[in-house]
Amino acid sequence: MMTSPHHNGTDAQRMRGRFARIAICLLASALACGDAFAQPAQPDVPLEYAVKATYLYKLAPFINWPPDAFASPDAPFPICIVGDDPFDDFLVRAVSGRSIGTHPFVVRRLEALTGDSDCRIAYIGRLRSQSLQQALMAVQGRPVLTVTDSDTAADNGSIMQFVIEGGHVRFDIDNSAAARNHLSISSKLLNLAAVVKDNG
Amino acid sequence: MGCASRTRGKPAADYSRSLRIAFFAAAFTAWTCIAAAQPSEQDLSKLSLEDLGNIVVTSVAKSPEALADAPAAVYVISHDEILRSGATSLPEILRLAPNLDVMQLSPSNYIVTSRGLSGNPGLQNFPNKLLVLIDGRSVYNPLFSGIYWDQQYVLPENIDRIEVISGPAGALWGANAVNGVINIITRNATDTQGGLFEIGFGNHESGAALQYGGRLGENAYYRVYAHDFHQRSFDDDTGQDAHDDWSAPQVGFRMDWQTGNADLVTVEGNALESREGISGAPDVHSHADNLLARWQHASNDGSNFQLQFYFDDGHSGATPTSGGGTLTTWDIEAQHDFPLGERQRITWGIGDRVYHYRLEPSIRSDASLLWDPESATQNLANAFVQDQIALGARAQVTAGLKAENDPYSGLSWMPSLRLSWKAAEDTLLWAAASRSLRTPTVFDEDVIEISNASGVPVDFLNGNPDYRKEKLTAYEAGLRTQWATRATISVSLYYNVYDDLKSVELSPTVLPLLWGNGMEGHTYGADIWASYALADWWRLGAGLSEEREHFRTKPGASGLVGASFAGDDPPHRSFLRSSMNLGDDWTLDADLREIGALPDPRVPAYMELNARLGWRVNEKLQISLSGFNLLHPWHQEFVFPGSDRIGRTVFLDTRLGF
Repeated sequence: MMTSPHHNGTDAQRMRGRFARIAICLLASALACGDAFAQPAQPDVPLEYAVKATYLYKLAPFINWPPDAFASPDAPFPICIVGDDPFDDFLVRAVSGRSIGTHPFVVRRLEALTGDSDCRIAYIGRLRSQSLQQALMAVQGRPVLTVTDSDTAADNGSIMQFVIEGGHVRFDIDNSAAARNHLSISSKLLNLAAVVKDNG
Repeated sequence: MGCASRTRGKPAADYSRSLRIAFFAAAFTAWTCIAAAQPSEQDLSKLSLEDLGNIVVTSVAKSPEALADAPAAVYVISHDEILRSGATSLPEILRLAPNLDVMQLSPSNYIVTSRGLSGNPGLQNFPNKLLVLIDGRSVYNPLFSGIYWDQQYVLPENIDRIEVISGPAGALWGANAVNGVINIITRNATDTQGGLFEIGFGNHESGAALQYGGRLGENAYYRVYAHDFHQRSFDDDTGQDAHDDWSAPQVGFRMDWQTGNADLVTVEGNALESREGISGAPDVHSHADNLLARWQHASNDGSNFQLQFYFDDGHSGATPTSGGGTLTTWDIEAQHDFPLGERQRITWGIGDRVYHYRLEPSIRSDASLLWDPESATQNLANAFVQDQIALGARAQVTAGLKAENDPYSGLSWMPSLRLSWKAAEDTLLWAAASRSLRTPTVFDEDVIEISNASGVPVDFLNGNPDYRKEKLTAYEAGLRTQWATRATISVSLYYNVYDDLKSVELSPTVLPLLWGNGMEGHTYGADIWASYALADWWRLGAGLSEEREHFRTKPGASGLVGASFAGDDPPHRSFLRSSMNLGDDWTLDADLREIGALPDPRVPAYMELNARLGWRVNEKLQISLSGFNLLHPWHQEFVFPGSDRIGRTVFLDTRLGF
């Protein structure tokens, strides 16, 4: 039959003691720099908008722009903020010194979107002087990636829309709207999208 | 019931442990201080698009992902993490969770536990203290207790995430969530649109999958899939073919229908047919079929309602040592949560499960396994309520209580009290006290084991109608933080007090032996894990788990089985992971794990490495090469030396989208 175990009390106590020391050591090390995170320095914009701003320039490499989208090899890559700017200076600071290929990023703030607005990516915030539909129509057929925020209506006709899912910033992509603007979106970006709409 | 004599192994040599701990503590200190810097444009610019999507930007108390913010020891295995591991089976995917022990015995046979108590399957004490749900459907077997891992398979592509909660979760999930819950959540059909063809070959496994996702009308999406795989047998401990290969073709579908923003209806079904080889015996054929429907409704007043129904039908084939059996389950559950005043959120629910089983006797010349009764219909009813109360802006109390009425032990109460405090924007400290139960099963109460070893049939071991619930009172505390969007750290500590654990007792006439509740004990330990983005293309992860177990025979109990009957668990585990994006099209991942020696019966410690190189050839085609257990020709994980050699394997996988 199975033998019953014999417990070695001193072994157990020694292990318990060592274990308690590890736990204390780890907690103490966390608290040692507690001062550093007790008053976390707030970013200038809410984290949600810092993340959205970062998406705006990081997704650019995953879009295939038609060759005639740029006037010259060193032409800038303009990201336009149309309407109210929720990013403060975060986006401007983030893209300064950055480029996509040979095209340096620039940030343009616009009141409204028109057919001759020079934008590759147009983030459309709260508009004062035109409707969202007017803004989208103004650049339809032009190589502009239109992006709307999570607080605008779903299926609004923009190519990309931020959505908040379970506390995370994700995005929906309307592939047919992209096609209308002669943009093709890489499968990597499509795979990351929360929803890909393709109405043919 | 075996009569093998077991001797207690010498405690594991731990010459390297102090060094390892010192290193980890130093790294931890450095880490926490570096990471405490302010999140800036530079921090975010270093993150990949995937990582950006993983940053929690708002409070998610109402959503399912609230678990990531829950005052509990939670690890969430993400979809991306699963694909980048190259793992194909659920137990191999679960190795990604730092708060689980995963021990492989054969291609299809695993032991997965949280916080120890792996049981002693050789002496018929199964690992039975972990609940597993796939899309809200329990796959815990109520006849034997525990999980048949060989009858669960989800295509990795279709897993949205796996939430692994270690520690008692009985107040929400019910009995048998004693030491944890594994919640496997598949992707919404809207996320798996288009076609996928996947084919893979390797020295141990080959498999293929075909899936298509499409749209039905305006708001409904579906996917249908079929896949099959074959895992070759391992070598046994003498190096001979163990003849335990495994294959499990499966077909299934999922449909999600969203009407407006308020209602989501999900219907899904799966059918699996498993075939496992057994040395010197016919193959074992099993099947597992299920169908689930769920309606979720969100109201403008901030309340959510969910109604779920499922049907599950499984048949396990007979093996040389046990008869087969069927189990058919109908389950209905309703859950409602709503805000109460400014500071409280109430979640409550009721559910009922009816299951019918039929067990076949196993009659052999040396021993027989019988059941009385062989067939029955049983009912399991439950109700729970949970109140989350905000204490100011930063602190929260969560009080929960579940009542469950099971066919053997009647009404059970499982309370829990959790406190959480947001010490800083991204830092959560939590503590909890809770009680959980493992309720008796058919196997505990209705089994009759006849031994013919002496040539005369002897009623050797019987189920015990007085078998009691196994009880746990658990005390936990933890810290979880995300610093500067680049580093995450989780520390959880626990102290568990167990009573009425399973044992073998003498009847008044000595034989038959009876299942009893003659053991008690306590365990304590810590799970620590961290991740850090060195750059936007390179993320590192590390973790360390320590556990001590102390079990003893209760006064008046027989002491026939020793402490090792409760489990044989590694006193420590650690891992180091690296995840790299090499340009836009290449990924390289490596996962080094070190598992301490099991104490009794002794199994040597081991260290192993899994790695995967992925290449996105173009928008449609992806190729990956994975290697598992690369450091040694073979190792053993749970039974030593008399078990399969877990060999080094490689796998080449091709995925084609269409």
